[in-house]
Amino acid sequence: MKSTRALTLVFLALLLAWFGQVVVGYFQVGRLEPVLNEETNLMVPPVPSGLAQTGARVFASEGCLECHSLSVRGPTGSSDLTRGWGQRRSVPRDYLFREPALVGFSRIGPDLSNVAERIKDPAELMMHLYDPRKRKPTSTCPPHPWLFDQRIAGPKQENDALPVPQKNWKQTIPNYSAKALVAYLQSLNLNYALPEAPLK
Amino acid sequence: MTSPSQLYSKASSAALVLLGGSLIWSLLAGGLQILSTLQLLVPLLSRILPISFFGYGRLVPAYTFLLTYGWIGSGLLGVLIILVPRISGIAFRYGRVLLGGALLWQLGVLIGLTQLLWEGSTGLLSLSFSSSITLIFLTSFLVLGTGITRGLGGAWKRGPLLPRLYLLGALLAFPLGLGTSELILRHSLAPGSVQIITQLVGYSFLHHLWLTPLALVLLFQLFTALTGRAVSSLPLGLLSWMATFTLGGWLGNALMSDGPVPSWMQSAGVVSTLLIFVAALGNGVLFRPLFEGKFDEIRRNVALRLLSVGAWTYVVAYGWLAFLALPGVRQNTSFTMVSSATQTIFFFGFFGCILTGSIYALLPVSRNVGWPSHPALTWHFWCTTLGVALTASSYTLAGIFQGLAWNDPGVPLSTISSYLHPFLCTALIGQSLWLVGQIAFSALFFSAILKLFPTTAPWAIFPNPPPAHPDALSGIQS
Repeated sequence: MKSTRALTLVFLALLLAWFGQVVVGYFQVGRLEPVLNEETNLMVPPVPSGLAQTGARVFASEGCLECHSLSVRGPTGSSDLTRGWGQRRSVPRDYLFREPALVGFSRIGPDLSNVAERIKDPAELMMHLYDPRKRKPTSTCPPHPWLFDQRIAGPKQENDALPVPQKNWKQTIPNYSAKALVAYLQSLNLNYALPEAPLK
Repeated sequence: MTSPSQLYSKASSAALVLLGGSLIWSLLAGGLQILSTLQLLVPLLSRILPISFFGYGRLVPAYTFLLTYGWIGSGLLGVLIILVPRISGIAFRYGRVLLGGALLWQLGVLIGLTQLLWEGSTGLLSLSFSSSITLIFLTSFLVLGTGITRGLGGAWKRGPLLPRLYLLGALLAFPLGLGTSELILRHSLAPGSVQIITQLVGYSFLHHLWLTPLALVLLFQLFTALTGRAVSSLPLGLLSWMATFTLGGWLGNALMSDGPVPSWMQSAGVVSTLLIFVAALGNGVLFRPLFEGKFDEIRRNVALRLLSVGAWTYVVAYGWLAFLALPGVRQNTSFTMVSSATQTIFFFGFFGCILTGSIYALLPVSRNVGWPSHPALTWHFWCTTLGVALTASSYTLAGIFQGLAWNDPGVPLSTISSYLHPFLCTALIGQSLWLVGQIAFSALFFSAILKLFPTTAPWAIFPNPPPAHPDALSGIQS
């Protein structure tokens, strides 16, 4: 086989794989638009806030994806919905405004696509980040104390200080990364219906 | 006529940097992997040592990066730099440029590792590092790849065709996969829904169109040379080659089970995975006659032994992927530790055994050095194979239990974690065994290179000149 013919064949095969998926994928799901939710009169999926987008990067950099997926499977052959991880399966439109688009391929802990629906109180999420076992004694999630600062307590407790015992008169205050991460987790909520994925 | 040592002399420093770096990264990757398993086994560790870079979420992307780019990527490129001029008879012209490329690759791995541990991953599949690392790898690959491409001509044109074809494809796939992923994922050229597809394509290019073909280059070239037999059917080989490159880019879709990827793509991923297994079987059919009646030789020659294990693990690995892609199986094994078993089979079994087998075969002839200890070679072989088998089977069982438990809503999460403990313990033993073997191999490698000990096992491992098949080895020797 001549080198040029082999080169052409390989190049075509590689292009086929690339175009067949990325370009065709772009025409199929890349041009999806948000839709109007008639119940709330809001467009869905919602555009996440800037803080939540920063939080997505903190989520990735802390390696949360190594244990938590962000994709709910449908009712056939999986128990994701029965476990209460969502009211419907995840579809491409849900990821329209997610930057970066994180999915996750491992589950040591639960799926977090709808964590905001399950844990509504941001303070509870904050406490989970600081010390997961304080919130749930059987949790295997590691603590993230580096997302919190220890500051000398003033005459009164700061609003966002965690309700943990003070050490050397220092309060435990979430830093910017912790706040961004919690904002991101609070943005993870698929409680809206889409034409291709109605709520169960 | 140019002598083998002259052919190789200008590239020897580059090859040594790539191979030496590869071994160091492999040891570090093995250590980090053991640490991450310990983190899962003893969650208390993260409470005793609450340091960000010590966390499970940082360790996993770091060792995965090291395995891909540090150990296997760097090692395979290093072996090719030794092999290609010897086959083609074309010497590398600019040794210093090649050395620069090799050093740049190591720098990329070092900075990438530091970033992953200190700043964390980007969370993108197969693009966990920053743009600067992509740029370093692409620049380095441009240098190393250009050097290797020169060898596609020359005397190699008269030799076996399949290794050249696989090399050609692999050299194209790496920049195409990494470059386009970087452009689309990092420069907001596509909305989030397309980014997921791009991540899967990038993953497939990296694993199935770059690393697998590079490993197959070594298998087809060294197997035929070491056994003195030619591949029996070129049309079958060509068919497998074409199937590998046509289907390899689609395999990542089979990772998805339901989820945010169009269902036709998932089906295409499943079909491609099944068909690529047929291609791997085709290659297996080509390898089989090369082994027949050679059991004693394989037993005696550790290079051939590791290459044989690597060849069969290649067929098993793609068979395993095909099995996992079946819809009923996929529903139970997605998101579980079965993915760690797959990683073990591919990296430690398939790529790793072929890489070490090739180093055993090529280093003595390229540098005229011998291995200082024969028992250490045997120890390395058994530690590696047992370690890989133990780790892969532990993760498989853990994943099956995990998947079945996930799919039973009555089983609480804490119970699922406790199910995993015995399997994680055996996986830890397997990983430790592999690391012990790799330490032995690294010690042998560096002491052979530095000639620290007298050679005691050179000709038994790779006869030079070979007594059995002088004609077959002539392609490598001159």
